[in-house]
Amino acid sequence: MRIPLRRLGVYFVAFLFAIIVNFTLPRLMPGSPVDSMIAQLGPRATPAAVEAIKARFGAVEQPVWLQFVDYIKGLATFDLGVSVKYYPQTVTQVLARSAGWTALLVTCAIVFSLCVGVSLGAVAAWRRGGRFDAFVSPFSVVLIAIPPVIIALATLFTFGVTLRWFPVGYAYNPDLDPGFNFTFIGSVFWHAIMPVLTLSPYMIGEFQTTMRSSMISVLGEDYVTMGRAKGLSETAVMFSYAARNAMLPVLTNLALMLGAVFGGSIVTEIVFNYPGLGLTLFTASVARDYPVIQGQLLLMTLATLGANLLVDIIYGIVDPRIREERA
Amino acid sequence: MLGLVQSPEVQGSMRAAAFAGGTISRRLLFALAGAAAVSSAFVCVTRPAAAESVLAMHIEEQTSWVQNFNPFDLGGRRQSTMDFVYEPLVIFNDYDSGKPIFRLATGYKFSDDLKSITYTLRDGVKWSDGQPLTSADMKYTLELMLKNPAVDIVGVGESVASVEAPSPTEVKIDLKGVDTHFPESLADFPVVPEHIWKDIKDPLAFKNEKPVGSGPMTEIRRFTPQVYEQCRNPNYWDAADLHVDCLKLPQISGNDQMLALLPQGEMDWIGSFLPEIDKTYVALDKDHNGYWQPPAETIAYEMNLKTNKPGNFEAFNDINFRHAFSLAMDRTSMVDIAGFGYPVVNLHASGLPPRFDSWRNKAAEGDKDVWMTYDIDKANKVLDDAGYKKGADGFRTTPKGQPIAFVIIVPNGWTDWIDAVQIATEGLRKIGVNASVATPEYEQWQKQLLDGSFDAVMNSRPDGPTPFRGYYQTLSTAFAGRIVHADSRYSNPELDKVFDAYRKATTDEERKKLFDQVQMIIADDFPVVPVFNGPTWYQYSSKRFTGWVTKDEPVMNPENHDNNRMRLMHLLRLKPAQ
Repeated sequence: MRIPLRRLGVYFVAFLFAIIVNFTLPRLMPGSPVDSMIAQLGPRATPAAVEAIKARFGAVEQPVWLQFVDYIKGLATFDLGVSVKYYPQTVTQVLARSAGWTALLVTCAIVFSLCVGVSLGAVAAWRRGGRFDAFVSPFSVVLIAIPPVIIALATLFTFGVTLRWFPVGYAYNPDLDPGFNFTFIGSVFWHAIMPVLTLSPYMIGEFQTTMRSSMISVLGEDYVTMGRAKGLSETAVMFSYAARNAMLPVLTNLALMLGAVFGGSIVTEIVFNYPGLGLTLFTASVARDYPVIQGQLLLMTLATLGANLLVDIIYGIVDPRIREERA
Repeated sequence: MLGLVQSPEVQGSMRAAAFAGGTISRRLLFALAGAAAVSSAFVCVTRPAAAESVLAMHIEEQTSWVQNFNPFDLGGRRQSTMDFVYEPLVIFNDYDSGKPIFRLATGYKFSDDLKSITYTLRDGVKWSDGQPLTSADMKYTLELMLKNPAVDIVGVGESVASVEAPSPTEVKIDLKGVDTHFPESLADFPVVPEHIWKDIKDPLAFKNEKPVGSGPMTEIRRFTPQVYEQCRNPNYWDAADLHVDCLKLPQISGNDQMLALLPQGEMDWIGSFLPEIDKTYVALDKDHNGYWQPPAETIAYEMNLKTNKPGNFEAFNDINFRHAFSLAMDRTSMVDIAGFGYPVVNLHASGLPPRFDSWRNKAAEGDKDVWMTYDIDKANKVLDDAGYKKGADGFRTTPKGQPIAFVIIVPNGWTDWIDAVQIATEGLRKIGVNASVATPEYEQWQKQLLDGSFDAVMNSRPDGPTPFRGYYQTLSTAFAGRIVHADSRYSNPELDKVFDAYRKATTDEERKKLFDQVQMIIADDFPVVPVFNGPTWYQYSSKRFTGWVTKDEPVMNPENHDNNRMRLMHLLRLKPAQ
């Protein structure tokens, strides 16, 4: 399970690249956070008040290289600065209150899609050319192609607004107080259903497609024939012999897809008014809240890199051959 | 400001509308049907069936509530901070000729030389923690603002020289110059308790999570990122008039969510842009749901009269050109197409908003309003007669032969405004004027208005309780180019003199007479091109509460947004339905 140094080096370079892009991107946007802060004051702000507010957020108007030094220093000490939009809250506070919700959505969506997508892919490959395959496989390609925003709005409109089966916003019923009890957890679950189902179709399509092609190549292997020859049941051969070995490319795909899933969660959270990182990023972008945008992107980068690392490790567990090669 | 609120909402509504006819995959439908059956056990939306009356209102769009009731943090404070936590001194009712309604103060009086003003505070008013509210608190608050320009949210730094508290109920303010208009500028002034704030090191960074206030709703009973409840002040001085026990403010991040939530019928007092309101709101509960969206501030096209482009400069400073500009404005289309029919066209050369009808000077109308119709032929004739010749490209040049070409800027994303400006440029092109649209980011837009690098703009004129403030801050030499609303950089010594006299006037008759002159001068000189008045955002449900202001009883601005102090008086009218 040891990860070679070279591999860690790759992660480090990716991380460095990410923090530089992270620093640069928000600054390429037109407008400055202080301007938008003053814009909120409207005509009531006297020149003296404007000066005083500029002085307070002076850090943002420093030369760029000084800002970069501050930024790196902040990163090293986990001090991401103060939010302009939610002043005087710190970026850490802003991110902390939303990170959990996004983690919940994304995790649920991944687990759900993995189960559904992999099963569909396995069965489609097992009976390739059959009626099931002929329907499910092209349909997966369609699912991959539909942008999340369309699924989100259609779901919201149909099941939230018209049929009123599901709540149209919030992470839980606002009348409840958060606590470890059945009602609250049930409410969280209930409010997560539509967002999770919105995030899932894309992943289900991807998993199904990858699983199917990988499974087809595995089905030609000798050990599958061997399993059949031993007289094992269809399901046993399909899942224990073939599917387990066909899973590897699916995991690779999962790591590659994480970025897209986070992207999808932004749209989903905005549409369903779900208080996660995506909604926070959206508001922060509109308000030119650089500190929050930076912190947010950094967190997402770390999450993606971390997930890739995790997949690397899981790889070793699932496929002993990789472990051998590395050792 | 209005467009800022309005436009993302407009976009949202269009997005929602585009999906109204969408189709849903059957598979998804089955999946959800199954999930619904399994999880229906979890649905238990309960409302506490208590005797207390809770009013649900929507006043601001946020993606998450942050507990901040610091009245000095204009950007960060919850919009229910003023009026509901901090009672105003005096409220001026703009629907009643700007008449004062005395709240914390029972009166104010100028000294004979008009150089100072003395406020008398109401006797026996207590803070919500039971401590008495005295002149020391008001003196403390004023001095806090004078010492810290960052918390000077009403601009006392420019007008106040010093403050004294001669008795527990009297505050004497020495002014830097004569300004009888001063009490209006204190309309947005919160008095904070000295015994709490004196220990606060940084008054702007203080979040004031558990506010001690003087208004009707000071107790923050519940605060989560998704909803907060603000309840009755146990020591409210005007408790006899208060029949609502709590305000409940659910977090709603935009118009899409509002439209999606409306069918549940849980909102009582709304301040949203709702497209096709009769269908999307009233039809949901015809017996209770209502709205009244009276016209608010005037939106006008403003040309940069100090532009450094010689051709534009010559044209903009020529009244014939401005008249032709106005004749090319298809105001009806702007209202119907760009504004969903909610705004109201303004057909007065003086641009006076309809809500100030009692100030209207009939002499400044009639003949003077002939430039306010949409008449391309007449506009062409005006330009032909004034010597604006058409070139080979079909565009006119100035009488001196200089090219005219300008861009009308409008903030990116304000879709309804962008549409209106497009209608304007179409009109202008029809009369051979080379005008186009640009949509910079809001901050850039604002910057160009302040540094004077823009050509022309469509902008609003924020009103005070009387029409004076709007005109003074947009058209006086003193403000020209200093705030975004004074972008035309208009300077007219004759008008300045009238403004000056108004600021020294002591009686209402005098003010009325002087404002008649203001309208006259503006209508004659026509510095800006008024087009329409944006709507007020007000929707209500009489299911749980009665006493709503309606168009049959138009006694006050009904909006619940933070810029309308009368919302306090509106709240005090409400009673739980029987």
